[in-house]
Amino acid sequence: MNALLTLTRAVARKELVLMVRYPVNTLSNLFLTYLFFVLIFFGGQAVAGPALTASLDGIIVGFFLWTMASLSFGYLAWSVTAEAQWGTFEQLYMTPFGIRTIMLVKAAVGTTINFGWGLGMLLLLLVTSGRSLQVDLGTVLPLGALTLASAVGIGFCFAGLSILYKRIEDLLSVVNFALVGCIAAPVESVAWLKAIPLAQGSYLLRRTMDGGIRLWEIPAPEILLLVGTAIAYPAAGYYVFRWAQRRARRKGILGHY
Amino acid sequence: MARHSSAETAVDPVISVRDLTKVYGQGDAAVRAVDGVSFDISPGTVVGVLGPNGAGKTSAIKMMLGLVTPTAGDVRIAGTDALSNTTAIYRHVGAMLEGARNVYWRLTVRENVEFFASLSGFDPRRTADYHDALIERYGLEDKADTPVRELSRGMKQKVSLICTLARRTDVIFLDEPTLGLDVETSLDLRREIRRLTDDRSMTVVLSSHDMDLVEAVCDRVIIVRAGRIVADDTVENLVELFRTQAYQLTVGSPLSEAAKGRLEHRYNAQGWERIGEHVRFEATPRSDDSVYTLVDELQREAVPLVSIQSLQPDLENVFLELTTEAARPKTQNGGER
Repeated sequence: MNALLTLTRAVARKELVLMVRYPVNTLSNLFLTYLFFVLIFFGGQAVAGPALTASLDGIIVGFFLWTMASLSFGYLAWSVTAEAQWGTFEQLYMTPFGIRTIMLVKAAVGTTINFGWGLGMLLLLLVTSGRSLQVDLGTVLPLGALTLASAVGIGFCFAGLSILYKRIEDLLSVVNFALVGCIAAPVESVAWLKAIPLAQGSYLLRRTMDGGIRLWEIPAPEILLLVGTAIAYPAAGYYVFRWAQRRARRKGILGHY
Repeated sequence: MARHSSAETAVDPVISVRDLTKVYGQGDAAVRAVDGVSFDISPGTVVGVLGPNGAGKTSAIKMMLGLVTPTAGDVRIAGTDALSNTTAIYRHVGAMLEGARNVYWRLTVRENVEFFASLSGFDPRRTADYHDALIERYGLEDKADTPVRELSRGMKQKVSLICTLARRTDVIFLDEPTLGLDVETSLDLRREIRRLTDDRSMTVVLSSHDMDLVEAVCDRVIIVRAGRIVADDTVENLVELFRTQAYQLTVGSPLSEAAKGRLEHRYNAQGWERIGEHVRFEATPRSDDSVYTLVDELQREAVPLVSIQSLQPDLENVFLELTTEAARPKTQNGGER
């Protein structure tokens, strides 16, 4: 357990050191995300006028969620590609913890850091739009974590694919935009869409943040469905990752880039 | 410098490889990269794995490290089955596989060392003294807080080695540790590799094309060609094995074609070279005595002998002999014939 804590501290420290040491890179990523929102917000107002205002809270919550999902999904998938390019992926593999534990720790650390960035971005969005949301941390944090779990699952899946197929950056960009579709899925009219990644969590977060609903006021089946996706997608992603790294070892391409 | 006189293992091997085979692809496209390789490595030795490009040495090393899954065969590291219990072997084995590319260039030297030690579960707060000693040992104390990207290639290579050592394993694999290094740094690293075994009883398996390095630090050499081991012995034994009583002779005037033909037939004379008025050639008499008959023959031809020099083979000759020609049967210790 102590060793795992040591590992977690080391991974977190490395991420934070790089973030602080290279602030331009970190801030420019966030600025681009923010710029994207501003374009949607002001561009949307110019085109749709007052019609946009009615759905603005939903857009803000959705954008907040997309920021975090995108960061969490991308963090895992991109990190495998980057580590392979740096020549450090095989070093991560050759640890007594095993690569899957290393990746789980990276996922936990990355998601926590990204959650912080997501909340910062949310504040910026609210200030920019002049809106206010009812953010009850006791509700938003568990719902947010359960929602992001499915993004982490997709991240694991594509991290595995990048071990096998190496250059999948274009595919990652496509998936990144597909996440928008998942977040904006019309789950109220098409019930089965609640099973796709992020959709149920996005729906519940929207309801709680713009309707002031608390966690315990959400119907149990809705929560159970969210918990189900939060378990199923990471499990599936983990399985794909395990399959991919075994296949890469059989093909002798684990550390290739 | 403690050198082992034989490749045979007197104690329990720290690495044991049996019938290791790797086939990439299937059907007609199948490539047998490693073909039934077997050997043991004793603790506290430096073993060089040599072979031309594509010989299968990287595949063999990566299979030993659990990074490539073998098609067949067994690998045991410190008594643990490396194939079924891969993560367990990483308590015993570390590797520097891509030299300077093994570390994070955006982190400082110290941050890298601490990170890689943590990957093996060592709390850097409790091992700071050890890390400082390692950094100092490799002469990087002034660069400890410098990002690796700002260091020279040789220094990066040293950081990579320090990070491998920070994991405190008994066995380390070094792939081309001196590649791209200047002479001074290479010599420095050579001394450090030898010290790992002599002072710390570590087992080092290194792969390199640098014959001087291998000859200087290795207790034993395994030469691989087309996926099979063609030689497995101490450097001294291998060189001795290939020692032929070859001589380089320089004579003061050209020989007649008939005389040249006789020398080629009886003394395996070859490599004729005209140097001004002189002629140089190499000869390999069939016995130690016959060098004298060769000299007599030259006198009968009235060709003045300017100089005669015995040719000493080195590991590079042995390597070239074994990997560029069809390997001839040899008396070797362990491994494939």
